[in-house]
Amino acid sequence: MIHAVLIFNTSGIPRLTKFYTPLHQSSQTLIQKIFSLISIRPAGLCNFLDAPELEAFLSPKDDSDERWRVVYRNYATLYFVFVVDGAESELGILDLIQVFVEALDRHFENVCELDLVFHFDEAHHILAEIIQGGLVLETNGDEISNSVKLASKARRSSFVSANPLSLGSGGGGGPRSGSIQTPLGWLTDKLTGVATR
Amino acid sequence: MAANMRGLTQFIADIRGARVRELEEKRINKEMANIRKKFKDGNLDGYQKKKYVAKIIFTYILGYKVDVGHMEAVNLISSSKYSEKQIGYLAVTLLMHENSDFLRLVVNSIRKDLDENNEVSNCLALHAIANVGSSEMAEALSEDVHRLLISPISPTFVKKKAALTLLRLYRKHPTVIPAAEWALRLISIMDDQDLGVVICVTSLIMALAQDHLDAYAVCYTKAVDRLHRLVIEHEYSPTYAYYKVPSPWLQVKLLRLLQYYPPSEDGTLRSVLHEVLQTIMNNSAEPSRNVQHNNAQHAVLFEAISLAIHLDASSPLVGTSALLLARFISSKETNVRYLGLDTMAHLAARADSLEPLKKHQGTIILSLRDKDISVRRRALDLLYSMCDTDNSELIVGELLRYLKVADYALREEMVLKIAILTEKYANSYKWYVDTILQLISAAGDHVGDEVWYRVVQIVTNTEDLQEYAAKVVFEHLKSPSTHESLVKVGGYILGEYGHLIANDAGYSPLEQFQVLHSKSQFCVASTRSLLLSTYIKWVNVFPEIKPQLINIFERYRHVLDAELQQRACEFYALASRSDDDEVLQNVCEEMPPFPPRVSALIGRLNRKLGDTEDKRTWIHGGKEMNLERQAITRKTTLGTGPSANGTAAGTADAQDVVNSLAGLDLSSSGDQPDSSRMDSSVVAPPLAVGPSVDRWFNKLTYGTEGVLYEDVQIQIGIKSRYQGHIGQLAVYFGNKISAPLTSFTSTVHVNDSEALSATFAKIPPNMIAARTQSQQLLHVECKKAFSSFPILTVSFLAGAHQSISIRLPISVTKFIEGVKLGQADFFERWKVIGGPPREAQAVFPIALDSAGQLDLVRHRQVVSGNRLEVLEDVDPNPSNLVGAGVLHTSVDGKVGCLLRLEPNREAKLCRLTVRSTSEDVAAEVLRLIERVLRSDP
Repeated sequence: MIHAVLIFNTSGIPRLTKFYTPLHQSSQTLIQKIFSLISIRPAGLCNFLDAPELEAFLSPKDDSDERWRVVYRNYATLYFVFVVDGAESELGILDLIQVFVEALDRHFENVCELDLVFHFDEAHHILAEIIQGGLVLETNGDEISNSVKLASKARRSSFVSANPLSLGSGGGGGPRSGSIQTPLGWLTDKLTGVATR
Repeated sequence: MAANMRGLTQFIADIRGARVRELEEKRINKEMANIRKKFKDGNLDGYQKKKYVAKIIFTYILGYKVDVGHMEAVNLISSSKYSEKQIGYLAVTLLMHENSDFLRLVVNSIRKDLDENNEVSNCLALHAIANVGSSEMAEALSEDVHRLLISPISPTFVKKKAALTLLRLYRKHPTVIPAAEWALRLISIMDDQDLGVVICVTSLIMALAQDHLDAYAVCYTKAVDRLHRLVIEHEYSPTYAYYKVPSPWLQVKLLRLLQYYPPSEDGTLRSVLHEVLQTIMNNSAEPSRNVQHNNAQHAVLFEAISLAIHLDASSPLVGTSALLLARFISSKETNVRYLGLDTMAHLAARADSLEPLKKHQGTIILSLRDKDISVRRRALDLLYSMCDTDNSELIVGELLRYLKVADYALREEMVLKIAILTEKYANSYKWYVDTILQLISAAGDHVGDEVWYRVVQIVTNTEDLQEYAAKVVFEHLKSPSTHESLVKVGGYILGEYGHLIANDAGYSPLEQFQVLHSKSQFCVASTRSLLLSTYIKWVNVFPEIKPQLINIFERYRHVLDAELQQRACEFYALASRSDDDEVLQNVCEEMPPFPPRVSALIGRLNRKLGDTEDKRTWIHGGKEMNLERQAITRKTTLGTGPSANGTAAGTADAQDVVNSLAGLDLSSSGDQPDSSRMDSSVVAPPLAVGPSVDRWFNKLTYGTEGVLYEDVQIQIGIKSRYQGHIGQLAVYFGNKISAPLTSFTSTVHVNDSEALSATFAKIPPNMIAARTQSQQLLHVECKKAFSSFPILTVSFLAGAHQSISIRLPISVTKFIEGVKLGQADFFERWKVIGGPPREAQAVFPIALDSAGQLDLVRHRQVVSGNRLEVLEDVDPNPSNLVGAGVLHTSVDGKVGCLLRLEPNREAKLCRLTVRSTSEDVAAEVLRLIERVLRSDP
């Protein structure tokens, strides 16, 4: 089972956090701990982190010999981190991260860190189409994208009816078509060039 | 949508603009205060609520604690506007957990969304249950979720979510799901056209099957069939190929599922599975350039290797795997090295011979120095698993050397493992003591108490070792810095066995005392009190240093620590008694050996698991350890068996009890066959009944072909042919309706698989087109005499899910071949066999034909249909029938069988006598023929 899906950037700022198993500590401590373990690993090491020191944070009971593993991938300025138990195939999870990133990319058309900041809800919706309750729901890119579209269509139509004067006015299609201008051309500022704070 | 809320966008931009964390916090606090005020004022419309809840979610994602907005989220869920509903659900799944009180408030809204005809709302509701499902939700909603899963009109994306939601509910609250009852219906979904649905349902079935192996046994065939179609036939929609690998996730799941079951007995399944595994291994022979493709292929490959090991650790497939693994552990890619080591550890845990692995010992030891700690850990586990008496000195030596430079995170585990290996695979006691003491002095703080307890235990129980141990420990104590654990071991061992070496030069009582006492000042109170005990033992055996010892007791009588003080006072009093007093001697009697007990070390390492999570199918450690674990697991399953859905907690408790009593050997193996039989009878659906079902069946017991079953949807017919102990049945399934029968499954259940085997020649197809017939060949083999009919279970979807169970007319007499005998021969044999117990006889009523005469033709049919040769001119009475035959079995050989049937028209009775060289066969043949003759034609 997948216990948590985390995305944080190379400075350790969380961009998406989703826990499928209730936590005991604050999520920030955990993220910082994971970040400190991962960020010191140079490229070229494996994508799996055997982390007994994390068990205190994650595991609700200490009498399980199940070892939780952290599977992560680094894309430009973002770390995609999945915390999984022994029932998941490590490489399978690695593939799943790729699927997740591809799904984000498809939805946001060339995804960047800022998309995750400003459209955190949509990122969560996309994740929900891939993982549900800690289990892999769908891995087929087309299917994921269809479900996401279906939901955003329903959302837009209800949104338009709720706010006839809204700027979004249901047009466009892409999530970036909302006509609010974000300052400084942030939205074109791709993954690589994002300031940390 | 976030972009459509100006306030929210501004809020996000502000936070991003905050230069330092304090500013960020300030901004957030301001916003939260504002929101709290707004919520308190009330009178917010949907849009405003949505906006504020979205801000709260954003704050939460940043990692801040959030304590408002729960109620508003609950309100949003019941909104009629999708955009508000969606944010509401998002907040519920993020901000609440399964024990939140607020969840009680949403159950009804969720139920409404589940019942709604709108799939998008269904999905939101399912997703929420899957994320936060509480026990109340499980009880209230599991039926609704199940309905969505099996409903033929649910779109695929709803089915997928429903399957995983059920899984989540089952994991959290296993008792609310009637797992066994739903088994066949759920398994039938594994045949769904849509691979996405199959993946999700497979996840669900994996969890359920683990706890209900028998009820879900059919999924084995389904899984093999699906793998065959994916891997060999390439039958899948192209969108489910991930970098050209057909749905690796599904393959991995199916391969894992198969590891939960013991290897199948069915030859057909075995050969199909073999072909699949072989193909997977061949596919990965040529690595490709694409990283993702490689990843996916390896994911499947590693699981396939695990399955191959599970099926038969000495098969040629595993030989191939070992070669592949050897290549992997020296691969350039770190991921592959990591998984290669991991899978090799699995192989080591199961394999009969470690030889193929030992060839790579050098590489593995090198991996201990890999640059990646994850890889180092795997190498450690592998070395631990592959250690035996031959290589223990080398491996332990290597580990000890590595321990000194190992990562701190790794040390404690290493110490335990080294201690276990040293004890388990020691070739000589000397080596054991040397190594353990070396370990204690090298690892110091990382040595748990268990380790030194164990040393003391072993030294006490092994007389040959005591003198040597005392010397070695003394030498270790002489080094300037010694760890406290070593002082404890030294204190104990010198106290007990110091006198054994006291006469040797350099080990005099005084020297022993000085060395040990010089460490005392650096030790904590508990260690010092242990040393005091050592001293009182010495008072007894070393009178020459008594004054020094008494001096120490005297000083310790005034320390503040209560324990130390008490010991010192007591020991002082004891030591000051007159020399001819025997109390001291009795008190300081040598320690008796410890009762043999299971090493606490292994217990510490393998803490048990008993949960509804997916289990690992093996643990680190050698073959025996895995066998032990299996035995424990089996006992546990037995313990909770009767309560059908043993809860997770129950399982864990039972395991605790079993574990803690491990020494008492509560072997309950005697009950095992019973309970497994009970299980299978629960599982098999009730047999189809009805007058015509019986008539068809009876006719087939002495005929070779005919209808076995028929209703409005399906007709099942049989043609059979037997020769010697082998038989072939062609089973015809005819679909009588104008729609296809989908998810068609047919299985044969044999009660006594030692005596009779029945397997389909191929995996049956999972669909029968409208108004067509499908033929399946069934191979049967009689190994020994048997007495129950195999049961054919057919299930399919035709609108609703149907399942039919019928007996197959395969009886022991089918394997008889008639023998022609003359009168003299017959009676000679008849006499040789003699009366009971090798004779079986019965008198029973028979029906006359329409003319009121004996139905001699039918009698003859029945006897010859049971494959006995009807002998002419043996019995002078023309109504009587005499038959002879030989039963062929592959294990018990041939069994002769003679029969005499004497009908009486006036009494409407019939006497049937069967004599056979085997009592069982005689009784069974009698039973079979009587059964048919009694019944109406």
